[in-house]
Amino acid sequence: MMTEADYYALFDAYQNGELAGAERANLERRLAADPSFAQRYDDFEELTTTLTSYGERLATRNKLKAFQAALDAEADAETTVETGNPNMPVMHISPMERKLREFWSAHRATMAIAASVAVMAVFVTLLGLEWWRASQSSSLYGYTVLRREVERIKRNQRAMGRAINQIDGSKPEAANQSKFSGTGFALTADGYLITSYHVIQGADSLLVESRDRQHYHAEPVFTDVAHDLAILRIRDKDFAGFRRLPYSFKRGQSDLGEKVYTLGYPREDLVFNDGSLSARSGFEGDTAFYQISIPVNPGNSGGPLLDDRGNLIGVVSGRQMDVQSAAFATKSSYLMKLVDSLASASPKEPYNLPRTNLLAGTSRPQQIRKLQDYVFVVKVYE
Amino acid sequence: MGKGQPSYTDEEFVTAIRRGDDRALAQLYRLHLPMVSHFVLQNSGTEDEAKDVYQEGVMVFYEKVRDGSLELSCQIKTYLYAVCRRLWLKRLAEKGRFGGRLDDHEPFLETGAEADLAEAEERDRRFALMGEALEQIGEPCRSLLEGFYLLDRSMQQLTADFGYTNADNAKNQKYKCLVRLKKLFFSHYKEEESY
Repeated sequence: MMTEADYYALFDAYQNGELAGAERANLERRLAADPSFAQRYDDFEELTTTLTSYGERLATRNKLKAFQAALDAEADAETTVETGNPNMPVMHISPMERKLREFWSAHRATMAIAASVAVMAVFVTLLGLEWWRASQSSSLYGYTVLRREVERIKRNQRAMGRAINQIDGSKPEAANQSKFSGTGFALTADGYLITSYHVIQGADSLLVESRDRQHYHAEPVFTDVAHDLAILRIRDKDFAGFRRLPYSFKRGQSDLGEKVYTLGYPREDLVFNDGSLSARSGFEGDTAFYQISIPVNPGNSGGPLLDDRGNLIGVVSGRQMDVQSAAFATKSSYLMKLVDSLASASPKEPYNLPRTNLLAGTSRPQQIRKLQDYVFVVKVYE
Repeated sequence: MGKGQPSYTDEEFVTAIRRGDDRALAQLYRLHLPMVSHFVLQNSGTEDEAKDVYQEGVMVFYEKVRDGSLELSCQIKTYLYAVCRRLWLKRLAEKGRFGGRLDDHEPFLETGAEADLAEAEERDRRFALMGEALEQIGEPCRSLLEGFYLLDRSMQQLTADFGYTNADNAKNQKYKCLVRLKKLFFSHYKEEESY
């Protein structure tokens, strides 16, 4: 009985060609006839060839390592030759720097990506914050726009250099098709009217509408940009004049704390508002204006400002957005000076200012009832 | 290059290496190292990694040549480049740092390197198993087999080294060792294959 080792001896001898003719033929016959025997032979062959090529692989690896070592030694030798020559420029690379260089060459791409991501993140954050702030605080945003509006008016009225937020709202009523509207009131009984300059600014034509829906065509006679005043005259042929005006114009200044009120058309109907005279100068210390604590709205511009006794003391002009209920009105003394200078030039139609005050001593509702027919909507078409 | 050493064409390289000419192999090794080293360094590798990859690549080439199964459809240079490129890609993937784009400075041609590499991988696995089996077999079998098969010593020399009374004793011992090695090797081998 042959052991496996004996078979291996036989196979080994066969492979080395040490078997004699009969034995050899016997073995070959058996390999052809017996599959399990052939399997055993195959395993042996695979084992030995694997072993041999494994050995060869190890040898080759050592060979290659030797080549590399030789190359490295050569390179080292070259560098020593280089550094050995004092005339040659020598580049000194410290171990630290070499490490840094290796790190850089290995992680260059990663670092570039990281850097660009960081830059992107910064910009996205900044833009996002900006956007968020804009969307969060719309009131703040409106404030800046209004300021820009103030800037624009400042430019227009550069003579006085004041900046106030003008009240000239567009009327919501689409039917009348006017672009802007404001308030105006009668200056004389024969057809002179007063309003704010900025109400009629840039107007093509003006339409004055009274409380009883009567329309008159009007045209500007004189405008005072610095004091935000405009004098209009009704040009309708069938206009017969107003009745006698119930109020008079105050030529002097009014006192602080005076109870004042105004009538105006911030919407289609006449609106009453009252308050006190809170300062004798206007926006940024402009002495041609009063500051009044009346809540006014777009459309109130050009409205009359009256005191308790029914004296007309000013013309409502504008308000300051970032201060609580701070409105401004042109002082009547400036209006009077203007009318006086116009009257002294002896115009075709004289200015017959009302001299008597029919309102003094009456209650406020009575005053308003008398007053309301002399306050008009001024519609502006561009 | 040069330095008084003969310069070979590609065909001469192949025939010389097949013959077992170590000088030609050394020459070839020296010739293409800079290219591969440059490629690996360009693609976030180090000097040592470049050498490793290059040696592995040359090994694939060398074993194919020795086998006589190399079918070169391009320059040796291109073949080596393709092999080393694949090898480096694999390493990068193992490191988990492969960004998907490789800095190539030469067009990657169809070189047959893929198939050769798959073959080489299979061979690597077999050699690894063989190494393992040799580790487990124990003395004196390991020294005996390594001496005969890996270090190419003659039976007479081994007989003297291991103190056997005659060469036949040593031979018998060798066959017994082979049987044990076979069991170890094939048990792993089959085990792996059954995966």
